[in-house]
Amino acid sequence: MIEAEGISTICLSVIPVLTAATGAPRVAALEYPFSRPLGMVGDVAGQAAVLRATLEALAAAGAYGAVIDLPFQWPEPRGKAMGVLPEPPIAALCRKKPWLYLKLLSGKIPAPEEA
Amino acid sequence: MDSFKYLGFASRKLMKAWTEREPRRPPVWTPLKKPLAEARIALISSAAIARKDQPPFDQDGERRNPWWGDPSHRVLPRGTTERDVRLYHLHIQTSHGEQDLDCVLPLRRLEEAQQAGLVGSVAPSHYSFMGYLLDAEPFLTKTVPQMVARMKSEEVDAAVLVPV
Repeated sequence: MIEAEGISTICLSVIPVLTAATGAPRVAALEYPFSRPLGMVGDVAGQAAVLRATLEALAAAGAYGAVIDLPFQWPEPRGKAMGVLPEPPIAALCRKKPWLYLKLLSGKIPAPEEA
Repeated sequence: MDSFKYLGFASRKLMKAWTEREPRRPPVWTPLKKPLAEARIALISSAAIARKDQPPFDQDGERRNPWWGDPSHRVLPRGTTERDVRLYHLHIQTSHGEQDLDCVLPLRRLEEAQQAGLVGSVAPSHYSFMGYLLDAEPFLTKTVPQMVARMKSEEVDAAVLVPV
């Protein structure tokens, strides 16, 4: 929608396949954990490198649907990188009522009284 | 590149299902109108960042109805840092962005890129919304046009979207 209004966009995504599927015109793809897509707390050089690569990808992308893989690796093992995510309300609900997970998978959002 | 490397089992299934379910959309493309070194850049984060002098995102509404997410946005002026904000996203580790805002909204890194001549200028305003929106309709029809109007009034050439 932003792009349709004449503003170029690039999406720095840690789930690039899904981002591209939504129709993002340009995707800078990054294999980083959630919650801190630019890099670790205080890692000025690492964050600057990710932003620079994203901006360069914005300038370099030549056509709709461009996905540019950024060449960075998260410096911690997967388990440590994932950390302990909070349990969001929808996950707590699906834990109590597992059949609702199927609705979530299907994208069929129930009316509040069904939920 | 593993798009789902940092997801647990259930979330991985969910993201894969959502990826397959996405309808094909007509391509939309706006070429970058000027060289990057002359372009004005705005940042948009989905981390639900609100300044302490702004209303928080509605976490209680999502707790009452977990299928709902707050579809509003906040304008974050240039110069905003972690000292000025809180993060109101119930699906991420908010402590990272609250310790170092550049982890989720790289405003200082963008200023440095401008000082180094990589980009032309930093927009006066940047934006945040809460990215958990199963029903995106209110966000797409009300919130995005407000952000677009402000970006246009501030002559923004390109936006860097940073989902978390």
